[in-house]
Amino acid sequence: MDNHNPNEDAQREPDPSNAEDAANGDLYGVLAEFDTPGELIDAARKVRDAGFTEFDCYSPFPVHGIDDAMGIKRTVLPLLVFGGGCAGLLLGLLLQWWTNAYDWPWLISGKPFWSVPANIPIGFETTILLSVFTTFFGMWILNRLPQVWHPFFRLDRFARGTDDAFLLGIEARDGKFQAASTTELLKGAGAIAVEECYLDARPESKKLPAWVYGFIVSTGVLALVPFAIIAKARASTSTEPHYHIFGDMDFQPKVKSDATFPLFADGRGNRGELTGTIPRGGLNADDVFYRGLVRTEGVVDASWTTELPPSLEVDMKLLERGRQRYDIYCSPCHGYDGRGNGAIPRRVQAGGGAWVARNLVDPQGAVAKMPNGQLFNTISNGFNTMMGYAAQIPHLDRWAVVLYVRALQRAQNAGPQDVPADCRNEVR
Amino acid sequence: MSNAEKTLHPDEKFKAGKLSGAVTKTGAGLAAVGFVISLALGAGAGDHWKRFFYAYLTGWSFILSIAIGGLFFVMLHHLVKARWSTVVRRLAEVVASTFPIIFITGLGFVIPLVAGYGDLYYWAHHDAHNHEINHHLISKLGWWLNPSYFSVRYVLYFAIYFGMARYFVSKSRLQDETGDPELSTRLRVLSAPLMIVFAFTTVFISFDLLMSLAPKWYSTIFGVNFFGGANIAFFATLILLSLVVQRSGRLTRAITTEHYHDLGKWLFAWTFFWAYTAFSQFMLIWYANIPEETVFYQYRMFSEWQWVSIAVLVGHFAFPFVFLLSRWTKRILPSLTFFAVWQLVFHWVDLYWNVMPNLFWDKAHVTGHDGKVVELMAGPLMGNPSLHTVGFSPVDVTLWIAMIGVFLLSVGRALNGNLIPVKDPQLPSSLSFENY
Repeated sequence: MDNHNPNEDAQREPDPSNAEDAANGDLYGVLAEFDTPGELIDAARKVRDAGFTEFDCYSPFPVHGIDDAMGIKRTVLPLLVFGGGCAGLLLGLLLQWWTNAYDWPWLISGKPFWSVPANIPIGFETTILLSVFTTFFGMWILNRLPQVWHPFFRLDRFARGTDDAFLLGIEARDGKFQAASTTELLKGAGAIAVEECYLDARPESKKLPAWVYGFIVSTGVLALVPFAIIAKARASTSTEPHYHIFGDMDFQPKVKSDATFPLFADGRGNRGELTGTIPRGGLNADDVFYRGLVRTEGVVDASWTTELPPSLEVDMKLLERGRQRYDIYCSPCHGYDGRGNGAIPRRVQAGGGAWVARNLVDPQGAVAKMPNGQLFNTISNGFNTMMGYAAQIPHLDRWAVVLYVRALQRAQNAGPQDVPADCRNEVR
Repeated sequence: MSNAEKTLHPDEKFKAGKLSGAVTKTGAGLAAVGFVISLALGAGAGDHWKRFFYAYLTGWSFILSIAIGGLFFVMLHHLVKARWSTVVRRLAEVVASTFPIIFITGLGFVIPLVAGYGDLYYWAHHDAHNHEINHHLISKLGWWLNPSYFSVRYVLYFAIYFGMARYFVSKSRLQDETGDPELSTRLRVLSAPLMIVFAFTTVFISFDLLMSLAPKWYSTIFGVNFFGGANIAFFATLILLSLVVQRSGRLTRAITTEHYHDLGKWLFAWTFFWAYTAFSQFMLIWYANIPEETVFYQYRMFSEWQWVSIAVLVGHFAFPFVFLLSRWTKRILPSLTFFAVWQLVFHWVDLYWNVMPNLFWDKAHVTGHDGKVVELMAGPLMGNPSLHTVGFSPVDVTLWIAMIGVFLLSVGRALNGNLIPVKDPQLPSSLSFENY
């Protein structure tokens, strides 16, 4: 916003005696240049000791110790940041309480609606967020930034304050300021040059250029447009369809599952399997393997197989697989030993409830007498309160579990005759 | 001012001299009294020394963690080419020189372990290998958690720690004589790869020594949390050690409020780091709520231990965090001293909170082939509410004091020669260091 006038450059000579210049108004202050940061610090200390308060130092990089030399007090920013952090924590907790426990209670992982441990990470983030905002904006506000114009900009020397000069400026409004004596003080403090700075006297320099007003007004109006569109949409009805950006994605030429479709006589979109066809991989013709059934010539009803499917290769690997699947899917209720004392029944009983899982290994029990095929079917389709595991355990693994249950029945009811003759003496 | 670099003041006393003997004697006295009382208490307890060994491990982990923090700080100083901390680096090196005596003290429970003592680590107990109650433990962890391999690793960890500490300290002392700036460069180059070795060593030593107390419970962040606590303890120790050295009339001009301010910042930062990792461990376990993991916190949250848990949360984190935030609590030495002592005490409470709940082992009843019911030890953290007690015993504290004595004894022995790296090229800028 520097309304730069090329004719003015000639007037801006670093000659402080140019006082009769028509464009120059009141004296703003004096600007002194020093050679080194050390000299700047010494000069700042002298100016402070002389009682000046309205002065500032300008250097290309932060000079350590300058705050102390200038007599600048420690900033209150840390306290503001502490307040911002506390507010962030409280707002973060409030947000989570309001959204998840009050306005729309939502059960997550069986935890209480408002559970503080789950809120800590978000609270941590919002604490940091508001701390950082307070630091950033607090620093700007406390330093009165952004400052787009400064009277010292009229001096060419001032631009070198971002390059190689160490500058100290004293403002004329300071009560101690007197042009001559202040210049003397700065020279005595080791300034290599002292320059007076005058305000721009021309009336147009006090006004913003017209295009700035235009920019501010047009930006403000444009910023309101989205809100105006939203307000209109909320306040009125429309017969126009939605605007679809990806029309071919929103409207696809297919019938969704369980939707109506008038083209077919029954009006349904679902067509089912065509008669006389089988899905790929869905034949499952082996009744013994897939359903545990055997059919006899001339008998209508199939019966449960008492054997294992002939296609099954029974070895330790299959048994081990069965043990592993059993431990995962069956042991929570039936227990690792098959006696029906798994973690769930024990827990229910400890709480006073009644939940009995079947003892799979009782030699007089139903499972011991069950044909293999029926046991396979129970694992597949469930029994009483037990749900079917067909979805979780593939066919082969279900047979492995059948095999392992048989092994468990054998192991849990073992007697001396099961011990090899040569080891019997070791067992007592 | 940083642009006016200083040299060591000509009147500065920077030789350890008689300070070494004084610290050593204080430590030896504390250790002797502490161990005698503890042995008497342990012998009278009639619990097969179980409580004694748990307290021994707690106190010993306390001093080990300080030494680990010291080694880390020395390595970090070289790694990042730090300048401000050069004036206190020799004192950190002194702390890092304590590994040999800590190693010997640790043999106090490692030798019984190898000799067959099974009441400290459950995995070393005979019943842990009973298939009826622990078939996973032996098949999955037995190759790692057994006394002989444990003792091999114990020696290995300390060989690594001692080797690294020895290297950094001896080269630093060599520079005192030669003034060769190349030594700084060499240490800086080496500190990067050694930092990786240090990280793995610290994580695994904490897994082996502390986390394996409950062999069926595990947390991958446990080692990081231990490392955070170790650094809290170390910086608190370094602040107190600097004060003791200055109180004896040494380094009175070299170590300034500016250095204490930065040590205070480190104390604050590690306090938060520790809390961050402790919460990370808690929240994942709390959210997933898997029985074998949750039991760790169930034990500590819903029994007498909840008061210890609250004490750790408030004492080790909330209170020091809020107060150490301020610039002035770190610059006013009495307040910094208070928080250093406070955090050391609560570091011990934190270790106590980690170790002691594992003392109470549940029993399991197993039917043998002959139909007889046998009572076996089922180990710690089995979720039996009747065992959830703190059961504080004086031996917990007396052994802690004895271990502090061992540590002081070890520090006293390492306090010799120069207390500041007199010819370090970074010393002038450290001496003139200021916070802005």
